[in-house]
Amino acid sequence: MSDLDEFKATYFDECSELLLELEEQFSAIQEGDRDSERLNAVFRAIHSIKGGGGAFGFDGLVKFAHSFETLLDYVRDGKVELSEDVIVLCIRSIDIVADFVGAARTGDALAASYGAVEKAQFDALARGQSAGAASTDDEPMDDFDIDFTPVAVNLERELPMASTAPATDGMTRWTIGFTPFPTLYERANDPLLLFRELGMLGTMTVTPRLKPMPKLADFDPFGVYCAWDIELVSDRASADTIREVFEFVDGDCAITIEMHEGSAPAAIALDDDDLPSFAALAEMAKAERKFIATGDADDMGAGADLSALLDDTKAEAAAPAPLHLVAEAAPAPATAANRDRSTDAPEDSASSGRPVGMQSIRVDLDKVDRVVNMVGELVITQSMLTQQMDDAIRDRYQELVRGIEVLAQTTRGLQDAVMAIRAQPVKSVFSRMPRLVRELASKTGKKIKLETIGENTEIDKTVIEQLSDPLTHMVRNSADHGIESPEKRVSRGKPEVGTVRLSAEQAGGNILIIVEDDGGGINRDRVLEIARERGVVGPDQQMTDEQIDNLIFAPGFSTASEVSDISGRGVGMDVVLSNIKKIGGSVHVRSWTGKGTRMTLRLPLTLAVLDVMLVKVAGSPYVIPLSSIVETIQNSRADFGHMPSGGKVLQVRGEYVQVVDLATRFEMTTDQAEDSRFVVLCEAEGNSKIALVVDDIIGQQQVVIKSLEENFERIDGIAGGTILGDGNVALIVDVQSLKSGTAHQTAA
Amino acid sequence: MEALGIRDDYSDGTAASQNTLQLIAFSIDEQIYGVEITTVREIRAWNGATPLPNTREYVRGVINLRGTIVPIFDLRARFGDGKTNPTKNHVVVVMSVGDKWIGILVDAVSDILTVSKDDIHTVPEGNSVDTELLNGIVTHDGRMVGLIDLAAVVSGAKTDA
Repeated sequence: MSDLDEFKATYFDECSELLLELEEQFSAIQEGDRDSERLNAVFRAIHSIKGGGGAFGFDGLVKFAHSFETLLDYVRDGKVELSEDVIVLCIRSIDIVADFVGAARTGDALAASYGAVEKAQFDALARGQSAGAASTDDEPMDDFDIDFTPVAVNLERELPMASTAPATDGMTRWTIGFTPFPTLYERANDPLLLFRELGMLGTMTVTPRLKPMPKLADFDPFGVYCAWDIELVSDRASADTIREVFEFVDGDCAITIEMHEGSAPAAIALDDDDLPSFAALAEMAKAERKFIATGDADDMGAGADLSALLDDTKAEAAAPAPLHLVAEAAPAPATAANRDRSTDAPEDSASSGRPVGMQSIRVDLDKVDRVVNMVGELVITQSMLTQQMDDAIRDRYQELVRGIEVLAQTTRGLQDAVMAIRAQPVKSVFSRMPRLVRELASKTGKKIKLETIGENTEIDKTVIEQLSDPLTHMVRNSADHGIESPEKRVSRGKPEVGTVRLSAEQAGGNILIIVEDDGGGINRDRVLEIARERGVVGPDQQMTDEQIDNLIFAPGFSTASEVSDISGRGVGMDVVLSNIKKIGGSVHVRSWTGKGTRMTLRLPLTLAVLDVMLVKVAGSPYVIPLSSIVETIQNSRADFGHMPSGGKVLQVRGEYVQVVDLATRFEMTTDQAEDSRFVVLCEAEGNSKIALVVDDIIGQQQVVIKSLEENFERIDGIAGGTILGDGNVALIVDVQSLKSGTAHQTAA
Repeated sequence: MEALGIRDDYSDGTAASQNTLQLIAFSIDEQIYGVEITTVREIRAWNGATPLPNTREYVRGVINLRGTIVPIFDLRARFGDGKTNPTKNHVVVVMSVGDKWIGILVDAVSDILTVSKDDIHTVPEGNSVDTELLNGIVTHDGRMVGLIDLAAVVSGAKTDA
């Protein structure tokens, strides 16, 4: 239940926000702002509250919100005028929704009739009557949303009972009415499966309610001719758990759930607590009964049952219905059944008085980013301080040194704590993979087992968001290309079922995500052949096994003849590589022929800190992301060629690479002698290379990325700025834009 | 009683501010310019800036202002009088323009002036640079103070480029 509790907590947090929004919007509407966008916002907010409430089975809330929503929908469509009365009603209703949410959060029970007056007004308005009076005039209900009121009626009687938990040691008897609509069958649901699941909750008796069968000639094979009544005796079922069983057919059937206890139905007791509203309840019941009388009952095949059920409600209010008497008067069968399940603890219902209050706060990601940035700054400054300490200082200023060491520790702690705020377990990405593998297995006829390890490893939220696509692709590749068919596996002496293992672990400042399979491994001959065919590799170029394996990430390489409709959708592994590189990571593949393949993703823990090489151009500091640097060469050793345009090319291992002098490109003058300058060979997107000439290489370090656009504007060739340990600003070289801009630059 | 006194002062101040303008006055050569004091965030000595490539001449570069990168505009160069050759005695006035923070490089900051809004003269038509960069002219102690239009100083960097 802990996952569900987490979801609930999120839902309640969202509700608080949505309720605030409702308040805001309505006060604007009340002041005369009739912008349709406001109504839409209000509608959305109520709809979200209702939707979440439905998922958790907060039926009173859902019922009320639904009426509210219906009214708003009519207002939006102009069917109901947004008069002062209606606005006042709406504003009052926000408070009622808030009370419902509050009650759901604390597990307190609200009076059954709570909000009934307003609800009746909604319903009346929705039927085209004026606000303020829920009259029962006979009026046609042309547009009435037919499948909502019947459900509402049933929930009405279920609400107070659900919130009064059954006696912990006793069995509870439930009557569940299940009337499928044709849509239930159209969506390929099987009632039998639902019954089986329901049967897990306790002892169950299912009685069909057969409608008269038509003559064979009139028989509609897709028609619904049967509904069921289910008697469930259980010690752990609650309205929520029962509703959960029917969760997936919600809206495709009419469900009624009744609980019967040894005492009088809880609804009555509750109503007694709240006598003044009793009249309202009666009034509402009358109003709804009227609907059922006029509603097209046969259309659903449920209406008739519902009005019968409604009568039950009324009967129950006076005295227990005869049918229920059996259960209430005879606890004996319950205790008999109890023996079977005596070990099971009763389900912890929502009313078990959980502590109230916000367990979490929702913070704007920007705010967190600001803290992350500043802490990054602090870490860098601190490491600079530590580096400045030589032995002389250590001897002389011992107290100072000790202070700095403590500062270092605290800073690291702070960094960890801040990163933890943004960290999320990789589970959110991993959890999509089992389904992917299942589907793949059934499409290809392979037998594949997916193992996931370390799914609680946490990574920065931004990294997680970018991880999903590449990882999906890698898993797909492993399952599709890696794992062999069962026959082939058996003939190779391997278990029939192939394994894809997905694991995540933290290694230093990186996260390693490994996708492993025990398939056939990469067919190196074939890969090399294809790479040669496509010109990815020169005809005479010799390559190591490892280099060949990593060819699968080369752009333009896709083993077309092996491509299936699963893996080969025009997205190659090169896209995986470039996606991973974008978030500062790297991919490495190793393969063992006949034994399997391992792809290792190395990702930074956070995107806030970037590994860079610090260089100098014309006296100014620049940094180049380390992830894009292939190698650095001293100018005096570099093999330059001159081009007709006056530009240069660099020859490196049989490749000619465009040379861009950063000083020239950035329109600055340098007095550094050509020979003492350096070439930084960089790799831009899509494996294309560019050689940048810089004056000097200072070293490697970590920096925090800062935006130039925040206070200024985008500058060509610059990806942003960063602040160095000495407090100066260094500019981050945008390798990609330099590469794509070179053609334009030489032409100009 | 003292608390009351303070409140009185305060209300005096707000009453007065309705009709007056407080300016930070700074100079370029002998000429005095002013910006509204509420826009000024910080005044700091020139301590170098990292030059930005591929941008206008009067953008001197960027500085680190407590972790934020702030561009520095050379006001003299913006007026078209050539680049300032800054020394440690030059001053950067950091201001907020819209939601952005910028710094302008000036020779010196001289004073805080309180001027009456009624004393603001319009800039004489004639030179488009003057009318573009100045919001108005006020007289203080018999000297002319040009009111800098910050938005124009900053936006020029974009439109001219």
